[in-house]
Amino acid sequence: MLDTAPAVRKPPGRKAAGARIRRRPRLGPYLLIAPTVIVIALLMFWPMVQIGIMSFQKVGNRQLRGEPAEQVGTENFDKILSDPFFWQTFRNTVLFAVVAVTLTMLVGTLVGLLLNKLGKRMSAFVSGGVMIAWATPPVTAAIIFSWLFGTTGGLVNWCLDLLPDALIGGGWADHNWFATPLSTYTVLTVCVVWQSCPFVAVSVLAGLKSVPSELYEAARVDGSGPWRTFWSITYPLLKPIFMVLLVMSVIWDFKVFTQLFIMSGLANRDAFNLSLYAFSEAFGSLNPKLGMGSAIALVLTMILLVVTALYVRVMVRQGETK
Amino acid sequence: MKYFKVVAAAAAIALAATACGGDDKDDSAAGKDPATLKVWMMGDGTPEQTKFLDGVEAEFKQKHPNTDVQIKYVPWPQVAPTFQKAAAGGEGPDVTELGNTDVQSHIEQGNLADITDELDGWADGKTLNKTALANDQGDGKTYAVPWYGGVRGIWYRTDWFQELGIQQPKTWADLTAAAKKIQDGKKVPGIGAPSDQTNALVSFIWGNGGEVAVKEGGKWAGRLDQPQAAEAVNFYAGLVSKEKVAPEKYIGKNELEGPQRDFALGKLGMYIDGSWALKEMKKISEKDAGKWGVFPIPTKTGGNAPVMAGGSDLAVWKDSKAKGAAFDYITVLNNAKNAKAWADYSGFSSMRSDVKFTDPKLEIFTQIATNTKFTPISAGWGEFEQAKKVLPNAVKAIMQGKSADGELKKANEQANTLLNP
Repeated sequence: MLDTAPAVRKPPGRKAAGARIRRRPRLGPYLLIAPTVIVIALLMFWPMVQIGIMSFQKVGNRQLRGEPAEQVGTENFDKILSDPFFWQTFRNTVLFAVVAVTLTMLVGTLVGLLLNKLGKRMSAFVSGGVMIAWATPPVTAAIIFSWLFGTTGGLVNWCLDLLPDALIGGGWADHNWFATPLSTYTVLTVCVVWQSCPFVAVSVLAGLKSVPSELYEAARVDGSGPWRTFWSITYPLLKPIFMVLLVMSVIWDFKVFTQLFIMSGLANRDAFNLSLYAFSEAFGSLNPKLGMGSAIALVLTMILLVVTALYVRVMVRQGETK
Repeated sequence: MKYFKVVAAAAAIALAATACGGDDKDDSAAGKDPATLKVWMMGDGTPEQTKFLDGVEAEFKQKHPNTDVQIKYVPWPQVAPTFQKAAAGGEGPDVTELGNTDVQSHIEQGNLADITDELDGWADGKTLNKTALANDQGDGKTYAVPWYGGVRGIWYRTDWFQELGIQQPKTWADLTAAAKKIQDGKKVPGIGAPSDQTNALVSFIWGNGGEVAVKEGGKWAGRLDQPQAAEAVNFYAGLVSKEKVAPEKYIGKNELEGPQRDFALGKLGMYIDGSWALKEMKKISEKDAGKWGVFPIPTKTGGNAPVMAGGSDLAVWKDSKAKGAAFDYITVLNNAKNAKAWADYSGFSSMRSDVKFTDPKLEIFTQIATNTKFTPISAGWGEFEQAKKVLPNAVKAIMQGKSADGELKKANEQANTLLNP
């Protein structure tokens, strides 16, 4: 589900100087972008508007068959916000996002730096390897990871069982990784980070290629170590890229659904996140509560809008100081 | 297994997106033979099933030569969203298979056509199982006919029982003792007790005189906080947490996510499943297939516990433009010959009283099926059991050491609200 579109966007703050010159408004560019806008509006904005409407309604199968939906005001929101279970899923979502985003950024940056250091052949080999992780569909990745961490034939348990008992204790052969939220989320984090760090790595690599090598030479002459070089040269220059990556990772990790649905499913409510909660309300049975599901989805969207707004603000600030 | 299903589900959606639509031209002649009859079957479908349905189509064509039958397989995990889309978008089937626990929800939502008169005109209708048929009725009208059903028993290893001198368990204490003996003698877990297997759990509750909920004055009232139900849930969860004869690795899982595979591979002593499991287990490993046996789920004090009669029914979709042909298809699909062929292939019992299994190994299920019960016939059961998974989550919490009283009290409150939608 990785959306690559923003990646090809130019880093902000590098506007061509000529863009400020006022021109007569021309129709051509708008015509060119119109098909995209119309498709996005039909497939994305209209459903979002519908979700907004439905979150204030009671919508079940009878309404799907054409009966008018009953307006319930803020009842759906009152119900979920006063339900401790909602806050439990909210906590799971936020904690997971914090851990997964941190790890994704960390591992991704390290791999990016490594790729930059490697020779041509090795670099192609390693980037080929990480690209495979990136190209793997989430469903496939989730199935592979639940096999790896499964009982009877699971590779991870088999390896842990082979290690000496004094080191990690015995009884790993039948260890159930998906019994408690903490260990479920551990596996989920490994899976999600594995899949999303390549994007960070490749973006960081692209940024690194644009940093003039004189800067690094000067740093070396001044006797700066790798740690200092990173924080004094690489990080400030690549900050816009890191900001974009950070916000996109936050958005992706907040709405993780596929992997969790496959790994732990509906029978483990203690490990629910907001997406899974919304799904179970809206599509879990033949008696859908689409209004409730929409309300939960709307809350999730709101959180992400706040994150995006913060990000835009930071970007605008950065643009102003330049 | 389940993961294959998810992949298959994804594939099915992709196929459905391209395959539906485009045959509305012949509506004008209502009552006449339609050009195509859309039939939805639940499950992933197999080459054998397709072959069986091709035979049914050929027979159906003798009466309706101008109608092509178009089969679509809807994988079980995808069933709820698919029917939602059918109800909302009008792209529904003409004939559909339905899980019998979902029939009441469909009737309540007005998805199914009234087939009372058609059923009266079908001579074979009298052979249909009466209890199962009652579940297909609402307000004195009939909306579906029972097709096949299945009951669960406890699968065990006849060779291990013989070697360790274990008699067929008649009580809960026997069952625990047998599991313990296997665990000590064979160094494999004694019995599988997954937390997400309500259809097995209810047998323990019913066998102890308990109920999930009962109908009182037109409303469903939860009975999970009663001592009979609590004792049964405690026994089931205690197999994992107290007696330690069932492994923790099945917590949060259903019988297909471990127990079935492990039993077929000889890594588990006993587990609860139906007649249809035989076919699936043979796919995993045929090596010990000759040593698999089944005995009925015991009650606490002795005797066979009532079992949940799961299964599938056949219905005509309300929006169908060819209701007559649709019901004719049902009568062909479920005539004596095809019903027997289907029972032998699928391992499910036919709901016709005149059809029996050919394989003697499955004979025991016919005996178990004489003592069946049904989970609350309420449109809210779907949400209670599928969306919220109230009992599986309560059982999981109890297995992990939470107080049974507290969890069952919460589950009972859920039953009180969700079963009265």
